[in-house]
Amino acid sequence: MSPEEQRRILEALLLAAAEPVTARRLSSVVPESNTAQVRERLAELNQGYEAEGRGFRIEEVGGGYQLRTLPELAPYLQALRPSPPLRMSRAALETLAIVAYQQPLTRAEIEHVRGVDVGAVVRSLLERRLVRVAGHREVPGRPMLYATTPRFLEVFGLDSLSDLPTLREIEDLLHEYAAGSTEEGAEGPDPALLAAALAEADAEPTPGSKPH
Amino acid sequence: MSSSGPESPLGDAPASILAFEPIAEGGSACSVRLPAFEGPLDLLLHLIREDELDITNLPIARVAVQYLEYLGLMRELRLDVAAEYLVMAATLAWIKSRLLLPPSEDDELDEELDPRAELVARLLAYQRYKEAATELERRPLLDRDVFAARGAELPEPEEGEREIQVGLVQLVDALRRVLKEAPEGTAIHQVVSEPVTVRECMVALVDALEAADSLEFEAWLRGPGEAPLNRSILVATFLAILELARVSVLRIYQSLDEDGAPRGPIRLRRAVGGTELRERLPELA
Repeated sequence: MSPEEQRRILEALLLAAAEPVTARRLSSVVPESNTAQVRERLAELNQGYEAEGRGFRIEEVGGGYQLRTLPELAPYLQALRPSPPLRMSRAALETLAIVAYQQPLTRAEIEHVRGVDVGAVVRSLLERRLVRVAGHREVPGRPMLYATTPRFLEVFGLDSLSDLPTLREIEDLLHEYAAGSTEEGAEGPDPALLAAALAEADAEPTPGSKPH
Repeated sequence: MSSSGPESPLGDAPASILAFEPIAEGGSACSVRLPAFEGPLDLLLHLIREDELDITNLPIARVAVQYLEYLGLMRELRLDVAAEYLVMAATLAWIKSRLLLPPSEDDELDEELDPRAELVARLLAYQRYKEAATELERRPLLDRDVFAARGAELPEPEEGEREIQVGLVQLVDALRRVLKEAPEGTAIHQVVSEPVTVRECMVALVDALEAADSLEFEAWLRGPGEAPLNRSILVATFLAILELARVSVLRIYQSLDEDGAPRGPIRLRRAVGGTELRERLPELA
């Protein structure tokens, strides 16, 4: 089958798919293709879209491929849609960020980081399928563990969790917040406090503070 | 050890802590807009940044004064001060008092530990995720910035049907109706108990929802056969429905009449696609 025919099929498949489709699944449908070829054909399609100035691209999200409109066209698409555009509160975003980087973790652990009750936020994230229950921690009370869903990757346009931007280093933040001090009479950084704060921060209960 | 740096005298806190922004013309005279803080840590970070305080040598006494002034203002404006803010006020007071006390002798092991360390560590950790949240927000979000080609989406609920917001009463009423018909476990003869787990009921329900897009709640509780289900199965089924609704695998709907009062049968619909339905079963152990 010619590359052109393969491209036609791939384009049609992605247009009609309800969720991101993996290269493996695409290659199982497109005759005489393997995953490497599928990726190549999709890249060619994207080059074509770009050259012709089309309003959409094929994006890699949630481990699969999805046909998506260009961000700069958002106002037009929002105007056409009957439902209001997706809204994310500050509380929802912070909670999601903590879950995304530290998953799986309990509600109490999220609350320790944010310093506020997160019951309502977690419930709404569960309802929006951005967060799921990923089992229980085997401690008294068996608290539920929360993790992000494939839907989270899809909504935030991430291919996998390892595509999350790396968290800023604590040392880096310390320096930024120390640099502001210009007051007269202020002593230099307190080495004991610094060391203790660093040790505390590094001792976060994180089997996976950086996603892999 | 004592906290260093000049302490601002009481009442000298920057007025900018509270950014009063009168709402545009037409608003009532006493409307003010408070900067929205996501909790005590957020407020503390704001105070620190606003005054360019050195976080590696945090002047706790000064921060505590400003923090309390802020809480005082919130109360004056008759805003509810959430309990978390009060806990933080107590923490600040505790740290302040620890800094004033001379190190006790039996405390030698702790000598190196600055009482501010834990708070500073929490502030930095929080700042990290605040930044990560901002990064997430900047991404092109689906259904806000970008829109995907969507072939077969889940069918929308019928016109006029709305998700039940506070529906536990209706659900329990329906359960009671069905329970009345269910045979009491009166033992005329010894029956080998037929243990049914909630999990089995969840699996059965997920199977059914995969086949049909929606099910009638009471019909499902009554079971497939002529004879009503026995009570233990019925209760397990009811719990299975609640559990699946809680983890957002299914949603519970009922029609509304013109006045917005619920009417007609309560229906169960799946909230996720078929494959996801299956994938999520293991986590519901």
